[in-house]
Amino acid sequence: MVRRLLPDNESVLPLLSEERWRARGYDRALAQAAALGPDGVIEWVTAAHITGRGGAAFPTGKKWASVARTTDPIKYVVMNADESELGTFKDRVLLSGDPWGPLTGLAIAAYAVGARDAFLYVRGEYPEIEALLKDAFGWTRWAGPLADRLTFHLYRGGGAYIAGEETALINSIEGKRPEPRVKPPFPTQRGLWDHPTVIQNVETLANVALVLAHDPEWYRAVGTPSAPGTKLIAVSGHVRRPGVYEVPMGFPLWPVLMDPDYGGGIGGSGRLQAVLIGGAAGTWLTADECREARLDNESLRAYGASLGSGAMMVFDDTVNIWRILGQVARFFAHESCGQCVPCRIGTQRLVEQLTGDRQPDYQQLRELGEAMRDASICGLGQTAPQALLSYLDRPALWR
Amino acid sequence: MANGTHNPVESLIEDLPRTRASLLPALWRLVEHEGTLKRESLVALSELLGVPAAEVYGVASFYALFSHDVPSESPIRICTDVICHLYGADALYAQVRAVAGGLVHESPCLGRCDTPPAALVGRSVVAPASPEGIRRLSQESQLW
Repeated sequence: MVRRLLPDNESVLPLLSEERWRARGYDRALAQAAALGPDGVIEWVTAAHITGRGGAAFPTGKKWASVARTTDPIKYVVMNADESELGTFKDRVLLSGDPWGPLTGLAIAAYAVGARDAFLYVRGEYPEIEALLKDAFGWTRWAGPLADRLTFHLYRGGGAYIAGEETALINSIEGKRPEPRVKPPFPTQRGLWDHPTVIQNVETLANVALVLAHDPEWYRAVGTPSAPGTKLIAVSGHVRRPGVYEVPMGFPLWPVLMDPDYGGGIGGSGRLQAVLIGGAAGTWLTADECREARLDNESLRAYGASLGSGAMMVFDDTVNIWRILGQVARFFAHESCGQCVPCRIGTQRLVEQLTGDRQPDYQQLRELGEAMRDASICGLGQTAPQALLSYLDRPALWR
Repeated sequence: MANGTHNPVESLIEDLPRTRASLLPALWRLVEHEGTLKRESLVALSELLGVPAAEVYGVASFYALFSHDVPSESPIRICTDVICHLYGADALYAQVRAVAGGLVHESPCLGRCDTPPAALVGRSVVAPASPEGIRRLSQESQLW
């Protein structure tokens, strides 16, 4: 088993100790960053091919380069710890096992783009993570200049899935309603208070810390050429051992369900029906597809799927998938900010169609889903029908 | 606000910068102190931060973790989303609701799908949650 992001051998050291920070190699990471200089750091992150782990898989080096390039003297960095996607809990597990990784990555990001203020946005339902991060801020006393030069601002979310969308998160910090902004301009051009802003998922920042603690070549030694490194997979539902597992990108899906080191086999009835991969806005994989699929975006494309945030919700053969789709539809209708029509109305129509007594019209549902996908402002409305559309594509799941 | 020093909202947010960026942290201070968002507190906040009252309400009402009624005890939020549903969340919700009534709310995914079903009692998490565990936490926890 590969263990890079999730620590094991150092776990006897106290979680927030300086010793543990050093044992994880993060002192080396900050020293390496300082030696490389801002441009050199961006070169390393680019060479490592790190892509965003929050779901969009955008190349991290490219994002940083575009912020570093701007002439605006004020820039910001943000750690997005507002994970609220259905079935997603990997950032909570990562932060509670290794808060130093993401925090070190955040300091490196700030140094690379020239930011003096670092924001951490933690979902309000994670009180223990917030407390942990607050205690960790004491590291500025001993972690050296890259940490010491920064001012950390911790924001607690108020309970809103949409606030995890990067432009909605910016509005939330600014004291506005967390409604997504129309992009472009992207946060890299006009983010917090209209200044260039780097926003990264927790897991992405932990990967940055690893690259600087080693080197791009070490980092690329696991995973696939197009997607190096590892991915945290949050496995839940009908498996014997729900939890977060770290696998190399491109790892086969099946052992993550079945192997005793991972999911440990199908729970419930013991017979797998399907997996919803990527969260509520994910894609259904039938049991047969689960036997062949690999966990990286390039291979998953063959199934019309993507890793998303790395959630895998597992369902046995007693579950009525149509009902799950109804619950997913309710989730999105509840969480839609109501700003744009395709999403506000579309999510409601989906709930009516999926939870009503009338026989659904599949063709009409498909047209509705495609309209939402094409015309919504942000990822919520665009991906809300994804699970339904993937179900319509798989008659094997119809019952 | 002639005599600002006696305004309880002002003392609650004393250390926060008087800017709009303090709105979300300030709302949390109110909720932690008063257990809910009172209309008069929102108006006071509007004056202190220089944000129109309608916009303060617009922000405050967006978030699911803020209650606008007057709970006498910590609100209980039980996750009834997809995974918790597989693990008996609906029955748990019905059982707790029968005892605690209006204090109990259904919640979207709480991010505890590894130990379902999950509940949030005030600011404390219980997962896996049982009626007994939730009752114990409600009794222990103060008003937020």
